[in-house]
Amino acid sequence: RFRMEGQAGRVGNALPPYGHVIAAERWRNSTLVRELTGGGVKALFESQLGLADFHLPNHTCVLYLAERDVIAGDGYRRKLVRFRKGSGSFQELVLVETSRLSQQDFPRLQRFLALDLGLSLLPVGGQTEAAQLLCQSVSQVQLDGRENPFRRRSCFQLLDPLVLDVVQQVPGVGRVKALALLQHFCSLQQLCNAAPAQLEPLVGPAAALHIRSFFHRPT
Amino acid sequence: SHKSSESPAPPGPVCILMDSRCISSSVELMTSLRRDHGVTVHVCSLDGSYFIVSNRMAVERHSQSDLAALQNRKRLSERVKSLQGLFERICLIVEKERSKPGEAARPFQRTRCYDSSLISLVRSGVRLLWSSGTEDSAGLLADLAQLEQRKGHAISVPVEVKGQHRQQALQLYLSLPSVNHVQALCMSHNFSSVAQLINSSVEALQTGGCMSRSRAEEVHRFLRHSCD
Repeated sequence: RFRMEGQAGRVGNALPPYGHVIAAERWRNSTLVRELTGGGVKALFESQLGLADFHLPNHTCVLYLAERDVIAGDGYRRKLVRFRKGSGSFQELVLVETSRLSQQDFPRLQRFLALDLGLSLLPVGGQTEAAQLLCQSVSQVQLDGRENPFRRRSCFQLLDPLVLDVVQQVPGVGRVKALALLQHFCSLQQLCNAAPAQLEPLVGPAAALHIRSFFHRPT
Repeated sequence: SHKSSESPAPPGPVCILMDSRCISSSVELMTSLRRDHGVTVHVCSLDGSYFIVSNRMAVERHSQSDLAALQNRKRLSERVKSLQGLFERICLIVEKERSKPGEAARPFQRTRCYDSSLISLVRSGVRLLWSSGTEDSAGLLADLAQLEQRKGHAISVPVEVKGQHRQQALQLYLSLPSVNHVQALCMSHNFSSVAQLINSSVEALQTGGCMSRSRAEEVHRFLRHSCD
C-alpha cells in the first residue's frame, strides 16, 4: 500500500510524512509495530530500506540490534560498518536490545559501535521500549532545529559585554576604568597596542604603565 | 582498548582534567583511572562539574534517573549548551543507579522525559555512552582520552601555570568566549605575551591555541570586535 516514487535507488533516502515511520517489510506483524500503532504512529512498510529497520521523519535511520544479534559474536560488526556507510544524509541511530544475557557483551559492542564507528547508541529493554522511544521521536519532530533544548544557539551573542568582561581581567582595571578605556579604544586589539601616553589621560600614569606592561610582558 | 602494534612508538600516558566539584563524587573513579588505566588526572577549577579528555572534548557523568526527572531537564540543557560553546565534542556518560549494599537494585523506570531527552541529545550531536558503574565509567573516560590522543587532540601542555603574571594572563584567556580550559592553557604556553596572542593571525591562533579553524576565526574576530 506504500509505493516509493522514482527509482529504487532513492528509497534509501525516503522520508516518512509526519506522524509516520517507514518500517522494513520484515517488521510487519511485530510487537514493535503493534505498539507504535497503539501509540498513534502509523507505519508504512517498505521492502527496499537496505540495512535500516526504520526511517523517522526527523531524518534519522534506525538499526535495531536484537538480543540474538548482540550475543551471536561479532557478526554485527560488518552490518554496522555497512549501515554507517549506507545511510546517506540520514543520522544513524542504533537501538540495542539489552538483557541479562547480553550484558557481558555490551561493553565490547559499545566500544566498537560508539567509539570506533562514532555511531549513536540507545539501549532498550525490548521492542515495547523501542516503540515508546520511536513514538516520542516522531511526536517531537517539530521540536527539532530551533526548539531542540540541547542544540547550541547559533544566533548572535552580544559581543560588547563580553569584551568588557575581558578588559576587566586586566589587573587593576575595574568596571569604571574598563568602560572608559573601551570608549576610547573600541577593541581589545586597539587597547593592547595603545601607548602609555594614550592611556594616561583615561586612567592616570600608574595604571597606564600597569596596563601596558600586562599586555607586553613576556608570559 | 587498542594495542598500539601498528604505531611506531607507544603513546604516552593520557591526561584528563577534572573539575574540583567532581572530587566528592569521583574518588573511586579517580583511583580507577590512575590505577587501572594509567591516566594522569589533574583536578582544576572549571566552570561546571565535568571532565576534559582532549583539547576539544568534554565529558559529563549523569545517572539514568538524572535524565528521567523532568525537573532536571532545563538545567541539563543549559549545561549542554554551555559546553557546546566551549567544546567541539560533548559526551555524556549515563550511569546505572548504584544500589546500596543490602538493598535490591530497583528497576529503572523509563519516562517520557527520559526518551525525549535522549532523542534531543542525539539529534544535537551529543554522544551518549552507557555505563554499568564507576569502574565502567573510568574505562570509558580512559578510552575516550586515548581515542582523542590517536586523533592528535590529546592534552599535551603542562597543566600547571606558575607565576602571578602567567596566572593573570591565563584568567584573561579563560574569559575569551568559546575558549576552553585546555585551549587557554595552550595559549599561555605557546604565546610569548598577551599582546602577541592578541595580534596573532588566525593560523597562529589555531596552532598556538590548539583549536579548530572556525574557533580560531571566532577568537580572531572577537579580539578585533569594535564596541561602538
